[in-house]
Amino acid sequence: MKTKTNLTFLTFLLLTFLSYSQSGKITGTLMDGEYDEPMAFASVIVKGTTQGVSSDFDGNYEIELSEGTYTMTYSYVGYQSVEIEDVIVKSNQVTNVDVTLNTNSLETVVITTTLRKNTESAVLDLQKKSAVMLDGLSSQSIKKSGASNIASAVKSVPGVSVQGGKYVYVRGLGDRYTKSILNGMDIPGLDPNRNTIQMDIFPTNILDNIIVIKSASAEYPADFTGGVIDIVTKDFPSKKTNSFSIGHAYNPTMHNNSNYLTSKKSKTDIFGFDNGYRNLPINRYQPIPGTFDNSPSLTTLTSAFNPQLSAQRRTSNSDFSFGFTSGNQFEVGNNRLGYQLSMSYKNTTTFFKDRIDNNLIKNENDSSVNELEAKRISVGDEGINNVLLNGLLGVVYKRDRSKYKLTLLHIQNGESTAGYYYQQVAQGGGGSGFVDVFKDAILYTQRSVSNALIVGTHTRDDGWKTEWKISPTISIVKDLDHKITPFMRTDEGSYGIRPSSSGYPVRIWRDLMEINISSKLSFLKKYTLFDEPAKLKFGGAFTYKTRDFEIDNFSFTSTTQNVENGIADNLLLTENLWTTSNQSGTHMVFGDSYKPANSYEGEQRNLAVYASNEFNISEKLKSIIGLRAENFKSFYTGQNQSGSEIFNNTKIIDKLDIFPSANFIYAVNDNTNFRTSYSISTARPSFKEASRAQIFDAITGRMFIGNLDLRPSYINNFDLRYEIFGDKEEIIAFSSFYKDFKDPIELSFFASAPNQLTPRNLGSANVYGFEFEFRKPLTFLSNEQEKLKFTVNASYIKSSLKMYEDEYNRRVLAARDGEIISKTRDLQGQSPFLINSSFNYKNTDLGVEAGIYYNVQGKTLEVVGTGIVPDVYSSPFHSLNLNLNKTVGKDNNTSIDLKIKNLLNNKKESVYESFNTADQLYSLREYGTEISIGYSLKF
Amino acid sequence: MKNLAYSLLMISLFTFTACDNDDNPPVVPVDPDPVSENINVTGMLTGVNNWTSDNIYVLNQKVVVDAGATLNIECGTIIKGTAGTGSLASALVVARGGTLNANGTVDCPIIMTSESDNIEVGQTAGTNLGINDRGLWGGLIVLGYAPSSFSGDVSEVQIEGIPADDTFGLYGGNDPSDNSGSITYVSIRHGGALIGEDNEINGLTLGGVGNSTVIDNIEVVANTDDGIEFFGGTVNASNLLVWGQGDDGLDIDQAYSGTIDNAVVVLGDVSDHALEIDGPEGSLNGQFELRNITIIGSQVTEDGEYADYRSNAMGHTTNLYALNFKASSDIELDNDGVANNYNSGLLSFGTFEIVVPEEATIESVFNNKAENVAVDGFGSTASSIAANENTVGANTANLAWSYSNTAAALGW
Repeated sequence: MKTKTNLTFLTFLLLTFLSYSQSGKITGTLMDGEYDEPMAFASVIVKGTTQGVSSDFDGNYEIELSEGTYTMTYSYVGYQSVEIEDVIVKSNQVTNVDVTLNTNSLETVVITTTLRKNTESAVLDLQKKSAVMLDGLSSQSIKKSGASNIASAVKSVPGVSVQGGKYVYVRGLGDRYTKSILNGMDIPGLDPNRNTIQMDIFPTNILDNIIVIKSASAEYPADFTGGVIDIVTKDFPSKKTNSFSIGHAYNPTMHNNSNYLTSKKSKTDIFGFDNGYRNLPINRYQPIPGTFDNSPSLTTLTSAFNPQLSAQRRTSNSDFSFGFTSGNQFEVGNNRLGYQLSMSYKNTTTFFKDRIDNNLIKNENDSSVNELEAKRISVGDEGINNVLLNGLLGVVYKRDRSKYKLTLLHIQNGESTAGYYYQQVAQGGGGSGFVDVFKDAILYTQRSVSNALIVGTHTRDDGWKTEWKISPTISIVKDLDHKITPFMRTDEGSYGIRPSSSGYPVRIWRDLMEINISSKLSFLKKYTLFDEPAKLKFGGAFTYKTRDFEIDNFSFTSTTQNVENGIADNLLLTENLWTTSNQSGTHMVFGDSYKPANSYEGEQRNLAVYASNEFNISEKLKSIIGLRAENFKSFYTGQNQSGSEIFNNTKIIDKLDIFPSANFIYAVNDNTNFRTSYSISTARPSFKEASRAQIFDAITGRMFIGNLDLRPSYINNFDLRYEIFGDKEEIIAFSSFYKDFKDPIELSFFASAPNQLTPRNLGSANVYGFEFEFRKPLTFLSNEQEKLKFTVNASYIKSSLKMYEDEYNRRVLAARDGEIISKTRDLQGQSPFLINSSFNYKNTDLGVEAGIYYNVQGKTLEVVGTGIVPDVYSSPFHSLNLNLNKTVGKDNNTSIDLKIKNLLNNKKESVYESFNTADQLYSLREYGTEISIGYSLKF
Repeated sequence: MKNLAYSLLMISLFTFTACDNDDNPPVVPVDPDPVSENINVTGMLTGVNNWTSDNIYVLNQKVVVDAGATLNIECGTIIKGTAGTGSLASALVVARGGTLNANGTVDCPIIMTSESDNIEVGQTAGTNLGINDRGLWGGLIVLGYAPSSFSGDVSEVQIEGIPADDTFGLYGGNDPSDNSGSITYVSIRHGGALIGEDNEINGLTLGGVGNSTVIDNIEVVANTDDGIEFFGGTVNASNLLVWGQGDDGLDIDQAYSGTIDNAVVVLGDVSDHALEIDGPEGSLNGQFELRNITIIGSQVTEDGEYADYRSNAMGHTTNLYALNFKASSDIELDNDGVANNYNSGLLSFGTFEIVVPEEATIESVFNNKAENVAVDGFGSTASSIAANENTVGANTANLAWSYSNTAAALGW
């Protein structure tokens, strides 16, 4: 390389397809290396000929040539030209050449093509040139890692951890501080108790890539602090592509197991939704009569409920999946129309044999005793069948200067759980008065996300670019007919309903619907400042969100309180129901009805305007300075329990804030950047947090209490990063960050009632950390055919939260003799360290790729203790996975995968940690080792 | 492909129907409640309130005698709680610093019952409810500032089922001689509505009630949970009667340190223990005194033990008379903690007279379940007697005024 350019990074991608014409084609995308975006209207010339085309405003070009070897020249005013030699065009084939053009030199760079298949370099390239700090995962690297959903894919990004297999934490910050967006637009959540959406329902096959943005810039929403995870769905392909894939997974621990637990299904369960089988069978305002009313309607109402209450033992199935994609593009007059259709189906079966869930406490009477005592010991089997069905349709219409894109996405998820548990419940404090409880649980949760995205992009020759986006989303989660049937076994060996000891048999419905309409209008102008290219961005965004949440629950009892043999199915047998004639048997609990205090509606509106300027202060120092203003309003509809305070779309929060951000990149040399950034971000109360809600949730057994005085918290974010890019996807990067929280919102409990939670603005918190990333092809094997690559990234994160007074006081009161209680603790869900590493082997001659992946996160505060209840930490889970992929057939259009998950057969375990005593089990799940095989065909 | 298209169609249909889920089944008509001239009460009571016997007062959800407020209830007054569970459960709550003067007389008791009870002004009993009609409303909750021993050694806690930011639900404190008023000749019937997970309201809940409060001649009938539960506090209570409860008769927790004198528990078909005695939950200790107690078992109930001394129970039980229990019923030291207390004298027993069932012996009634602690002499103060030969036990004549005496034909 003979130029002084700070960037010469080229990406080549060769894809071959069958085609029916006699000549061949060269196609590709031109990227603007300065800004990491498509380079419109650049010229593409076949050297030594008069043939040439311009890239369209998406940076795409296509040129038809007869068979031969060519040198291609790519150029744009103000950018260095790139020449690529030895581009081979074969009859009936398409050669794909993607090129990135850079500034800072007038000399021409001449490159001889070396054909590499790797979109990872594109993501690395993005990382290198991006003004903000980000990490990306290309669909290809996700595919290689074998991850089947976003939650498992994204944890390989430095500083990212995943809690409960669902919720993504970036730099130790989850939920409120980490934002998930879909194609750059807000999406609603799916969990009544969380602000963000769970990531395990997003399948990887809809993805183009995932970008994790870690430092703010004015065009991004101000309400993220840990990171923004942008899920970018597939665009349409440049050529007709169809594919079909099928997969099967077998886990010897879970599958083909005759002890598996299940329940009767509705006919449409197989498609991820319930057909009405589990609907609430009576009106929620139905008054439930008492037996003394001697009303036949009590029998009618009781018998309206589905009588199946026992989890049934059956042999478990194994996992299977299939998927289909189709894409193409057409000429429509002078314009171009493309589409991408993708559908996939996945059916997984999980069986936890002897799952353990214990509740322990410290000795209540004597602080010199360090050993923990049992409040509840629970062991049981649980079977889970999960169906995930999704469809994505994208249509793009491109004109000369404009592009319109419509994306429709629907994700449908049905999760059916059946469990049978044996519990010993202490009735008189820790370790005392145990009663035996047997509990059947049959649960069904149905989730769906339906999203539409309409984008229009308009470009002008003079450097102006306008983009508008509208994205409505509906997400729905329904807990349908959760049936929990506990019986106590008496000393005499009979089984029965004991409301005071084990609770009533109960049926619960919960319904959450969130609608989200996001819109955005942005303008971009490229211009020259200090003789260097500069870019001005400004625009506005408006997001409207509304959430509606309701709970219905009904309890059952029996006049005799006894249930024959403790078999749950006996409870609602017709012959065991109370009737006016027998006056004995099972009936609904008198007076149970819908409780308005358990429901709420929330509405939030956020109007934002922003402007940012990206410019070079000197040849080596690039900056983005931005300012964003947001007006956030939150409205609440609901009431307190006594009904003395009723809110009807009452405005609770109305805040106008200014959020500055600054990012600087200093190019130490061609391949080394030093970055720093500063920004202010915010974290806001969720719908129900800034409210008068007093919601008792029968599923969690906890009361949630809103706080009308809650304020948004503000965070100062500082980032530093030093990165060295080598040849061929090599990178070494060191990052550090510091975040300082003002009025952080934390869910805390009441000193007087530790099972009642309320959000509060706590005094202060801070988080700091270091991240290290290293990727290197191991050169001793690196020839054109064989490659071995090593990747490792590691993070160390330390958070410190000043506890709420009540929490601190409770901890002091419950301290053991000699134990010193700190006023600070970790943030919940934050891992002190994260390590990811992988080895990848690839042999292009044999069409073989193999990878071994290791991931671990340090012990993480999972449940915040209440003083007498110690803190619970999830123990590190050493995940070691192996993937093998072999492509065969004509044009490598057939691919076979073999994956082994959890090679080390690690168990997921969480423990109570308490002063001077051995850790005690809180929960245990055995995942076993899973072997899966996949087959896919492109046609 | 056809299947895929079909499932797509199903999904899109579902998405539309899912938004429109109000296809609820219709409300099934149920016999309307009897209409009467009632005064509905709800929410906080402040200042001085007088409830008189010419009205029926209907409690909607929680009715709270707030701190500083007084509720005077005339003898013979009928109070009814509405149906409902959870947040809708009705209860009369006397907050810390509130005063309840509910003083009936032998001939003119105050009656707290369900709205479904057809009892009318001037009557002492309705006709439509029986001993198995439990949980039709909440109960009476009295909270005070007296010391109690709480888990985690906090000084005050929230009574279960009331949101913690509603501070009227707090109890506990440092004033042993706290005064919540005077509650005499009150009959509480058919309560015990569910208020939370595994949690029902007791007939009479006394949380941290101080010993200047008068609790005398109280009857609890057909409650889902315990009859009378003492959560800490120092209050003395006399002439208590619990009949046909769903759980325990008299329940002591959190180092209750008053005296219960002259009490009767009559188990029903689904009752659990007659006496359930727990100890302190924190490091603060306190001993109860239970004396002149009569407990009458049931041959029907599956559980129905005499008494269970659990966790770290400490106190003295004496002059107890027990009859009609099953052969399998026992008086139990439940764990090591309570057995240690027995050995150290913190838990002690006076005269017990038991009508021992045929298949049992006086020795088999006393059961030390402690795993690691042996006890000596547990049950040695007890004697086996024939029915009605008792020399100890409650003076039942004091409770002859009660509804149970008539309804259960107790013959006092």
